[in-house]
Amino acid sequence: MKYEAVIGLEIHVQLNAATKLFCDCPNRPGDEPNRNICPVCLWMPGALPHLSREALEKAMLACLALNCTIQPESSFDQKVYYYPDLPKGYQLSQHHKPLARNGWVDIMGLDDQRKRLRIHHIHMEEDVAKLLHETEGRTPITLVDFNRAGAPLIEIVSEPDMRSPHDAMEYVKALRAQLRYTGAAECSLEQGTLRVDANVSLRPWGSDLLNTKVEIKNMNSIRNVGDAVAYEIVRQTRCLEKGEPIVLHTRLWDPEKRITTAMRGKFEGPCVPDPSVARIVVTDAWLHALREQLPEMPAPKIDRFMTTYGLAPDEAAAMTAERDLSDFFEAVAQYDLPPRKIAGWISTQLVPALRERNRNIDRTHLTAERFAGLLTALESDRINTQAAREVLARLLDSEAPIEEILKKGDFGQLSDTADLKGLIERVLADHPSDVQDFRSGNTKVLGFLMGRAMKASRGKADPKRLKELLTERLS
Amino acid sequence: MPDRFTYRNPSSEPCVAGGPLTGVRVIVQPNMSVKGWPCNAGSRALSGYSALENATVVSRLAQAGATLIGSSRMAELGFGTAGDTTAQAFTDSRADLALITDTMGEARMAAAGAGLYGFKPSYGLISRYGLMGLVPSMECIGLMAADPSHIGQALAVMAGADPNDPSIPHDCAGGVSADLPPITDSPVAGVIEECMDGLEETEQKAFQTGAARLSAAGVTVKTVSLPPYGLFRDAHHLIAAVEASSSAGKYDGVRYGHRAPTGKNWNEMYLNTRSEIFGPLIKPFLFQGAYFQFKNYAAFENACRIRGRLFRAVTHLLDQVDLLLLPTRRAALDPTQAATIEETYHAFALTLSANVTGHPVLQIPDPTPAGGAYMGLQLMGARLADMRLLSVGLCLSSTMREGR
Repeated sequence: MKYEAVIGLEIHVQLNAATKLFCDCPNRPGDEPNRNICPVCLWMPGALPHLSREALEKAMLACLALNCTIQPESSFDQKVYYYPDLPKGYQLSQHHKPLARNGWVDIMGLDDQRKRLRIHHIHMEEDVAKLLHETEGRTPITLVDFNRAGAPLIEIVSEPDMRSPHDAMEYVKALRAQLRYTGAAECSLEQGTLRVDANVSLRPWGSDLLNTKVEIKNMNSIRNVGDAVAYEIVRQTRCLEKGEPIVLHTRLWDPEKRITTAMRGKFEGPCVPDPSVARIVVTDAWLHALREQLPEMPAPKIDRFMTTYGLAPDEAAAMTAERDLSDFFEAVAQYDLPPRKIAGWISTQLVPALRERNRNIDRTHLTAERFAGLLTALESDRINTQAAREVLARLLDSEAPIEEILKKGDFGQLSDTADLKGLIERVLADHPSDVQDFRSGNTKVLGFLMGRAMKASRGKADPKRLKELLTERLS
Repeated sequence: MPDRFTYRNPSSEPCVAGGPLTGVRVIVQPNMSVKGWPCNAGSRALSGYSALENATVVSRLAQAGATLIGSSRMAELGFGTAGDTTAQAFTDSRADLALITDTMGEARMAAAGAGLYGFKPSYGLISRYGLMGLVPSMECIGLMAADPSHIGQALAVMAGADPNDPSIPHDCAGGVSADLPPITDSPVAGVIEECMDGLEETEQKAFQTGAARLSAAGVTVKTVSLPPYGLFRDAHHLIAAVEASSSAGKYDGVRYGHRAPTGKNWNEMYLNTRSEIFGPLIKPFLFQGAYFQFKNYAAFENACRIRGRLFRAVTHLLDQVDLLLLPTRRAALDPTQAATIEETYHAFALTLSANVTGHPVLQIPDPTPAGGAYMGLQLMGARLADMRLLSVGLCLSSTMREGR
C-alpha cells in the first residue's frame, strides 16, 4: 500500500526579551549556572509571578508576523507535572485560552507551487530549568541550573498540513525568517532558541484519516528536522507493512546514528487555570500600536524588490532572507549602482565574508557608503574583481577610508596598452608550445594563457583589455 | 504547655514612631514572610526555612509603626485551625492584632472561639506577596482583634496596589480609607434561611438571641433565601483541593525544607520526600486535588461554574439587603479538634461561603457564650464595602454592649 505522511510541528521559540517571563531576572540562560535567579523563578514560598510586558509584546509581534489573530482575552494555566526542572510542580502555559489562533506561512512546495501551511495557535509559556546528570563517585546525581527557568517562550502549533520532509524544513525556514524580522527572537536551532518537535503519522494515500502520531524531538538543525522526519516515515512504513500497530509515544533523534529511538510514552498532564497571573486583555488600540511596529515582512518585500529594483525572484529572495541584509541592500541601492550587481556582490562576496568572520554586518566596519564606494570603483574599472575582494576584506576589518585602502594597497588596474603588450610578449615567450597549440586550433589554450598573464600582473591587469590584446596578438 | 509561638521577636520595639499603628502589637502566623524569621507554615515541607524577604503586609505594618511580637503556631499550610495557637498567643502576650490566613474561615473561627473580632477582607484587597498560601483564589490575610478599630486601622495600612502582587484587581488598587464611614441609615440584615437548616435547636435559639440584639440596636433583620446554599461546601472543597495540590507541588525537598534520604534516583527522592513532609490531614486533601486534576477535570470545571453562580446569587442578595447575617460556628463543634477533611469542612460550613465568593465578613463576638461556647455572628457585606462593614460592626458592638 502507498502511504502518505501527515506532519505537524510544535515549535518552541525563545523570545529575546531582556527579562524572564514572570520576574526581573536577566533572560540569559547561558550565563554561569544559577546566576540569574530570584525567589520568583526559584518559586520560593510566598513568591508571585508578574507577567513581563516586554515579553508579552514580543510574543504578540511574533503572532502578527505569522498572520495569527491575537485573541481579545487570553490567560495562563498550570500544566501539572513533577520533575526537578520544574520548581513549582507546574509550568505556567496558556492551554485553555492561547494568545493567538489561526495563522499561516507560505512555502514553495516540491512541485514549485506556493503552498499555504496553517498554524493552529500560538501560546506563551515559561521555559524550565536545565538538568545536568552526573555522578559523584558511584552515586548518580542531578544538578539543576535555574538560569533558564522562567525564560519567555512561545509555542507555535501547526495544523497537520505538511506532507514531506521538504515541507517541514521549508516551514521552519519560513517561520524562522519571519520571526527574525520582528526582532523578537534569534531563532537558532543550533543554540536551542528554536526547538522543533515533529508529530508524524501515516495514512493510506488519498484518505483523510488522522492516525496515531509519534512525536520526535532533539533535532538541532533544519537538515536534522528533514532527516528525522524522513527516517520516521520509513520506520512507520516498515511497521505498518509488518502489521505492527503505531503507538503514541515520543522518540529522540540521534544526530550521530541518524535514527530515532523510543524515549517514553507521551505524557499529557492536566492544565488548571492559574489564579495568580492576571488575564491578558488586548485592546484594539494596543493591537494597532503593535501592528505599527511590525516591519515589512519577507513575502511583500520580495515582490517590492522585484518591481522596484528589477531583481530576479531568487535574487529578491536572497536579499530579503534577513532583515538587516535587506536594509543594507536598500541603503546601497540609494547610490547610483545597478541593483542586480549589488545583490550579486552581497550574495556571493559579502555574505560568505561575514560567515567566515562569524559576524553580523553591524559588527563590522562596513557601511552602505563604503560598500557603494567599493562597487563604484569596480564599476568604473578602477579595480578588478580580484582586487575588489581584497578591498572588501579591508573595509570589513579596518576603519581606513576606502580611498586610503585603494591607494595604499596599490590596487590600481593595469590597463595601459603598452604595459599589457609587454606582459603578453613575456608570457608568450615563456610558453611557445602553447602558442603553437592555439594556432593549430586548440582555442582552449587561450584561457590558460590569460591565467598566466593575469598571474604575471599579480592580478592587476584589466581582464577585458588583456583578453582583447591577447586575442589580437595571437590571430 | 507547648510553646504557643513558632518565633518570638527578641527586639519588639516599634520601628517607626508616630505612625498610625505605633504601639500596636501584632502577631503573625508562620506562613507570612518576615525576613530572617523561621517560616514553616506549620509543615515539615518548610522545616528550617527562613523567609528571604518581608511579605508586603509585614513591611506595611512595620512602616506604620506596628510592633511584630512573634509568630504563632498554625495548622499545616493553613488548612483549618487544628493546632493553631494564634488566639492563645494573642491573649497570653496581650497583643492588639493578629493576622490569620483565612482560607475557609480560620480568622473568623479563631476569633469566635476566643470572643474576639475577626475580619476577612474582600478578596484582592490585600497583597498576597510573601504569604505562603495554599488556595490562591480563596485565601486572604484575615485580622483578629479585641477592638475593631485596630482592624480598620491595620486594614487601611495593608490594603491596596502592590507592584509585587499583580493579581490585585483594579477596583482594589486604591485600597481603603482609614476613616470609618458614618452609618446614618438603619441597615437591613438578611438571614439566609437555608443556612439555618443544619443547626441544632439550641444553636438556632442562640443565633436568634444574637439577631434579636441586632434588632434592638436598630438593625432590621429579615429572612432571605439562597436556594443553592448547600453547594458552597462542595464548590469550596473541590476547588480548594485542586488549587492546594498545585500550590503544594513546589514542596519537593530540592530547594528547602525536609528532604528524604536520597533514593536510587531523583524520582525516588521526590516520592519519599513528599510522602514524609505532609501530615495526615493535608496529604489526603492534596490527593483529592490531584484526583480532580488528573482524573476528573470536568468536575473541577463544574465547580468553577457553580462558584460563579454562587457569587452572582450572593451579590444579588446584597443588592436587596445591606448585610447578610450568619452564625460563625456551631456551638458543639470544636474546629481545633477536626482530624479529617470531612470534620474540617463540617466545622467550617458556616464560614467558607465568603471564601468561595470573596465577600468581606466581620465576625462579632457574642456577649455571652451559647451553652459554654462562643458561636459568634458574621456580617457579610458587599464587595469592597469593608470599611462600611467595620463601621456597622463598631456601631453595633457599642450599642449591644450598652444594652447588655
